[in-house]
Amino acid sequence: MATLKVSNLTKNFGNTQVLKQINLEVSDGEFIVLLGPSGCGKSTLLNMIAGLESVDEGEILIDEYEVNRVEPKDRNIAMVFQSYALYPAMTVRDNVIFGLKQRKVSKEQIEKSLKHFSQMLQIDQLLDRKPAQLSGGQRQRVAMGRALVREPQIFLFDEPLSNLDAKLRVEMRHEINKLHEQLGTTMIYVTHDQVEAMSLATRIAVMNEGIIQQIGTPQEIYEKPNSVFVADFIGSPAINLIQGTFSKDGTATNFIPEQQKDDVKISLSGYSFDSEPEDGQEIIFGFRPEHINLPDASLKSQLPVELKPSMIELTGYEKEVSFEFYGNEITGRLPRHIDTELGKPISLSLDLSEISIFDKESNQRI
Amino acid sequence: MQTLDFQKMEKIERSASRKRTFYRWLLFITLGIFALYYLAPLYVMIITSLKSMEEIRQGNLMTLPGEIIFDSWKTAWSGRDGIDAGNVFLRPFFWNSIKMVVPAVAISTFFGALNGYALTKWRFRGDNLVFLLFLFGCFIPYQAILLPMARTLGLLGISNSISGLVLVHTVYGLSFTTLFFRNYYISIPDEMIKAARIDGAGFFKIFFKVLLPISAPIIVVTVIWQFTGIWNDFLFGSSFSFGEAAPIQVALNNMVLTSTSVKEYNVDMAAAFIAGIPTLLVYVLAGKYFIRGLTAGSVKG
Repeated sequence: MATLKVSNLTKNFGNTQVLKQINLEVSDGEFIVLLGPSGCGKSTLLNMIAGLESVDEGEILIDEYEVNRVEPKDRNIAMVFQSYALYPAMTVRDNVIFGLKQRKVSKEQIEKSLKHFSQMLQIDQLLDRKPAQLSGGQRQRVAMGRALVREPQIFLFDEPLSNLDAKLRVEMRHEINKLHEQLGTTMIYVTHDQVEAMSLATRIAVMNEGIIQQIGTPQEIYEKPNSVFVADFIGSPAINLIQGTFSKDGTATNFIPEQQKDDVKISLSGYSFDSEPEDGQEIIFGFRPEHINLPDASLKSQLPVELKPSMIELTGYEKEVSFEFYGNEITGRLPRHIDTELGKPISLSLDLSEISIFDKESNQRI
Repeated sequence: MQTLDFQKMEKIERSASRKRTFYRWLLFITLGIFALYYLAPLYVMIITSLKSMEEIRQGNLMTLPGEIIFDSWKTAWSGRDGIDAGNVFLRPFFWNSIKMVVPAVAISTFFGALNGYALTKWRFRGDNLVFLLFLFGCFIPYQAILLPMARTLGLLGISNSISGLVLVHTVYGLSFTTLFFRNYYISIPDEMIKAARIDGAGFFKIFFKVLLPISAPIIVVTVIWQFTGIWNDFLFGSSFSFGEAAPIQVALNNMVLTSTSVKEYNVDMAAAFIAGIPTLLVYVLAGKYFIRGLTAGSVKG
């Protein structure tokens, strides 16, 4: 049980700055996911929290205590790695209790912990095997067991599920979720998989180019992305982004798509701006694929549109359909039972209550 | 649609299989010729060592011995009964070589492993430069260090001794052993070391408990390399030792070249063979791992 605070953390590898003034506060029992594309610095940040990388500037506090120069073993953390990082020459049992032995924990206590956690992770049948004799999923369990027996204050996960196949990944994800509920320990989890991030996190920190772009609950991140990067990175299929200008006529605010033939205006009266743009300012209009759908009378503000499918992909549960929309290709998620045919127009509606508007110059939400 | 012409296909298949058989034979014949070429000296050595001097004098180099006699082996190993002065035989020098090669191989392999571990898993500023210097050591010719090394051994008071030779071979071998282990350890994921650090293991604990138990292939390679090099070395042995402290290769040379009367080819051959037995044994016992270790690390398991 612990809190973690990272303030103004900076890290350089040679001339490249991989982390730029990172600030992050994690309260006790939280599950924070660091999400971002590869090379965004998320793993470096995790390694620094673990004490495996030195700190160039800034500080890391665990329970308000500065640990910049504390050895990894003394930070009372445990870490699970993508490659499992099991010790090949040791049996599962020795792998799991290696850390306890280093800490000179009594034999009885070791046996007790080993029994408890190996049953919990269902690896009690595998204790005498070597890592090479285990499947990927079993190895991952052992790696988790090794972290669990230490009963650390903070768990760190470095893309732990990336090497597993799709089905197993979902299973292990559920188990990690359960684990967090059972133990209530603070967890920090690095991944580039947004589904993992969405389903596990109490809060997500989206990172790019060494900066935390946005931090918030999964719902906030999804519904109110604060930049074009976050909007585009989260969600599959990706959010639809259309460039155009903002126009103000009296009290009526409108979005005018860049490429259009006939004076089209999309009313923005339902959108609450953080700071209202000026008339004629270039903006980006974003809406998620699920917000283009069959007309629904119950929606507060919607825009009726007539669209021709240019590509139809059945994903199982639903259809992802591409349309041409004022010079842009947009994607909509439609129920699978709707009749769609290439080139045959359908009447749909765009839900205007769920849109996001960004400034074109700064790429920030406005 | 065109239908397949089965007769034509059959013809193509037949000619392809004939070609395969031809090339297979060509390959085996070529390999066979080379094998004979390389094994011929060994054959001559063995049969000559088993012949009597009379038979050798008849000049039939390749013929099998009429009567197999092991006397020359006995003479080469433990000398001739009743003759003392000037009688060089291999037994004491064989043990000299063992006393030299075992510690030299063990020490250079151990420190090579430690260096390789430090250079790959505990990176520090300038580590690549340090490695470059080690690599540089591989390219220094033996002859270049003879004089400075003789002086150093003199200052240390271990010239003309087995321990002096152990030191020379250890120092000279470190470049190679470090190179081997460094290249092996670089293929081992760093995450394993990170996990061990978080588990609370220190520098040496990680080395002995985590890394060394999975280093068998590269240890075998290094041991074979070092053993062969040190056992077969003549230059250092003859430069830094003489008389009683000489290793077997020097003794073999003395034995063959200082014969006073007649050249006893059978004894010489037996002696040469005895001097070569340990390296042969090492190859036969560990050769399988040698190939495996050489290729290990190039492909991720």
